[in-house]
Amino acid sequence: MIRLRVNGEDYELLIPPNKTLLEVLREDLALTGTKEGCEDGTCGACTVLLDGKPVRSCLVLAVEAEGKEILTIEGLSKGEELHPLQEAFVNYGAVQCGFCTPGMILAAKSLLDSNPSPSEEEIRKAISGNLCRCTGYTKIVEAIAAAAQSLSGG
Amino acid sequence: MPEYALVGKRVPRTDSVEKVRGEAKFTADLGLPGMLYGKVLRSPYPHARILSIDTSRAEKLLGVKAVVTGQRDAKPYKWGVFPYTQDYQLLPIDKVRYIGQEVAAVAAIDEDIAREALDLIQVEYEPLPAVFEPEEAMKEGAPLIHEDKPGNICVHVKVDEGEVDKALAEADLVLEGHFEAPEQNYCQAEPYAILANFDSTGVDIWCPNAGPHMKARPLSRALGIPTSQVRVHRVYIGGAFGGRSEIQAADVIACSLSRKAQRPVKLVYTREENENCIRQRVGWITYLKMGFRKDGTWTVGDFKCLIDGGAYASTGPIAVSVPYMEMETTYPLKNLRYDGYRVYTNKPPRGMHPEQNRAFHMAVELHLDMAAEKLGMDPMEIRLKNAMTSGFVTATGARITSCGFNECIQKAAERARWKEKRGKLPPGRGIGMACGSVMCGFPMGIRGGSAAFIKFNEDGDATVISGVVDNGQGNESMAVQIAAEELGLPVDKVRLVSADTGICPLDQGAYSQAATLISGGAVREAAADAKRQLFEVASRMLETKPEDLDAREGNIYVKGDPKKSMPLRRVVINALANNITIMGRGYRWPKIDNEREWVTNPRGQFATTYSYGCSIAEVEVDRETGRVKVLRMVAAHDCGYPINPMAVEGQIHGAASSSGIRCGILEHILWDGGQNLNANFLDYWVPTALDVPNIEPIIVASNDPFGPFGAKEGSLSIYMSMQAAIACAIHDALGIWPTEAPFTPERVLKTLGERGSH
Repeated sequence: MIRLRVNGEDYELLIPPNKTLLEVLREDLALTGTKEGCEDGTCGACTVLLDGKPVRSCLVLAVEAEGKEILTIEGLSKGEELHPLQEAFVNYGAVQCGFCTPGMILAAKSLLDSNPSPSEEEIRKAISGNLCRCTGYTKIVEAIAAAAQSLSGG
Repeated sequence: MPEYALVGKRVPRTDSVEKVRGEAKFTADLGLPGMLYGKVLRSPYPHARILSIDTSRAEKLLGVKAVVTGQRDAKPYKWGVFPYTQDYQLLPIDKVRYIGQEVAAVAAIDEDIAREALDLIQVEYEPLPAVFEPEEAMKEGAPLIHEDKPGNICVHVKVDEGEVDKALAEADLVLEGHFEAPEQNYCQAEPYAILANFDSTGVDIWCPNAGPHMKARPLSRALGIPTSQVRVHRVYIGGAFGGRSEIQAADVIACSLSRKAQRPVKLVYTREENENCIRQRVGWITYLKMGFRKDGTWTVGDFKCLIDGGAYASTGPIAVSVPYMEMETTYPLKNLRYDGYRVYTNKPPRGMHPEQNRAFHMAVELHLDMAAEKLGMDPMEIRLKNAMTSGFVTATGARITSCGFNECIQKAAERARWKEKRGKLPPGRGIGMACGSVMCGFPMGIRGGSAAFIKFNEDGDATVISGVVDNGQGNESMAVQIAAEELGLPVDKVRLVSADTGICPLDQGAYSQAATLISGGAVREAAADAKRQLFEVASRMLETKPEDLDAREGNIYVKGDPKKSMPLRRVVINALANNITIMGRGYRWPKIDNEREWVTNPRGQFATTYSYGCSIAEVEVDRETGRVKVLRMVAAHDCGYPINPMAVEGQIHGAASSSGIRCGILEHILWDGGQNLNANFLDYWVPTALDVPNIEPIIVASNDPFGPFGAKEGSLSIYMSMQAAIACAIHDALGIWPTEAPFTPERVLKTLGERGSH
């Protein structure tokens, strides 16, 4: 039995110790916004924030996440109101197939939380663990820069 | 240029809010009550006869609900895109032809049990000699992969127009070359997955696809049930790129398991399975001769292509004719000989598109640069001299109806500051240009066209019903935007029901670059039809003639007197109150010659129209390490007219990145015989945000006479040409002519070394 705190809510779960955080989020909590793309920690589609830091949830055992704040894409918006990053991804056309989008947005959130006005190079570095096959990244980088501006009131 | 209310505007895509919130459901996210999990047993041999399969121990394992094998469960049906290329028994009965081919499958109450059950299946094989390279496979005495295909030739396309030998003899300059590009993976972000629910009414499936009707028909035949009993549902799709176009063995397996277990079955492929066992990109070898006059006119081309298609034909035979067709619509050529062979090898089957950019277009574009160099011309000048123009008819009979090619070259060159840079950059830096055109709306048999309906709800909102499918390009949003424009409604008042064979009329799918041209055109016609009916009703309400009315922002009004207006919603209600149902209907077919055939008669109007584009890349090459760094990519694409410029830019970005960085710099499969050695993202390097420079898209609008609002496809000319632009830029930087893609440090150093030793 473990206790997980996901998107501000507490869950008590009976799970086998070899279950990854990704599996628990998707299968036990039905939070399917976190995607599985490679099973070996290389694509970044399963990125979630653990105490604000991006982790690949396919490489984290659920038991390791006990006692930590877990944020998934479902916990980012406030009700119907989108987070500025989500807003910018929509308005800047940064979403195509959308499979990498949740992980990409969370990686960007972690960046902006620690560095409110990143350079283009810093943005590219922060999302370099999240693979996108559709966009060529240009509009994603633009959207993150725009969100940074809007978050800092610019 | 005409001004529209919505078309041509940067409208946020209709699917993007769901996607940024994590609500968009992809196949692996779905579940049904009582659902089982499927797993597949695969061949460890590249070529072997299946002698026996013993599944008895697997069937006895607690939690296993069904086991299927080809010998016991497959119907006698082979898939192939043409009647004469039907070679693929999707669950094999007698032979396996590549490492990883499906042999048997299990459905169990969880994945662990399914995996354990696979270990309990015993297969007895008789290994057969295998062959892995097309040139080896064509030799006499090579192992035959399909007994009825001598020389392992899947298809041979032969074109001989004009007088090639005479023109070569008369040419002032003849250049000869040999180019290669190995296989690649598409690496769709979403690994393949399928959810199937087979019951007494038929089968419901959810899976990534590039055309639901393209799935349903062959699947029904493979399962031995009527097509109407296969319902392919709409689901979000994580990329296709040509690799999701057809029925997969996974589809037959999941449906067969569900049929046997009488429960829903979900089969989710691993990344490795996705890269090996779902259609990926061919290997390509081109031999060519090109002849020129002194003034730079390209007069003759003689080409031979060997295409490594793997163990089955797949959709690939179509791609054998595409290269010369798209080349001669780029640069008109009176004298043209083309021999294209798609060859079987004992490797995973390959799909079709967009392949030829890598070793065919690259060969042509590098030879244009070579000719320019020998004739003392600028590479831009030789391309402008030979560039296609509107109204031209090609040697094999295709008429060009809209062509912004010249404008693409001029605008890209201007943005990239070509004239200041070409040949003038410091040592190790270079700039290169390449061009391309792409067929839009080509023959797809009885599934080549698209139809759409529009109905209205009681609140006056419209629902569009179209077969259009979205793999990530923005096709759904495109259909909504077109309908909203035509009906004069805001985008949020139009809903779309799509990509569902149970509801939607036939549609060619995201295939043949026709989603906007054909499906979008059908949606526009349906909206225009609905509008005519609305105007009939509204004309009585507004006491005017229907032809005096127009619609915008949800209102129908009298032209020239916008105060005489009423909400569209009131017109819909008024119609219903008078027992009138407004129902729009539209359809479109590609405008092509009906006599043409891809392999046996590849002449005539093969596509409705063609897009055009020019790619320019600037690179920096480290002479010590051979590493090529792409500094800048400029891409000008003639999309006819941009329905949504933001979406077209996104497509151009993706095309430049895919062609330039994926195909040009990083990606290729490594083989040990028939064993793929890098079917994962650790060993198969894909571009990250740090590998792709800023991409500068330029949209050119040639206003196609057939396309809805003048639109054609949105980016593939760049997919065809950016890699070649990088090859040409490497030449500008180092003076070497690359002959094999991708331009890895090893290959660049090898070519540098070869030049040094000459």
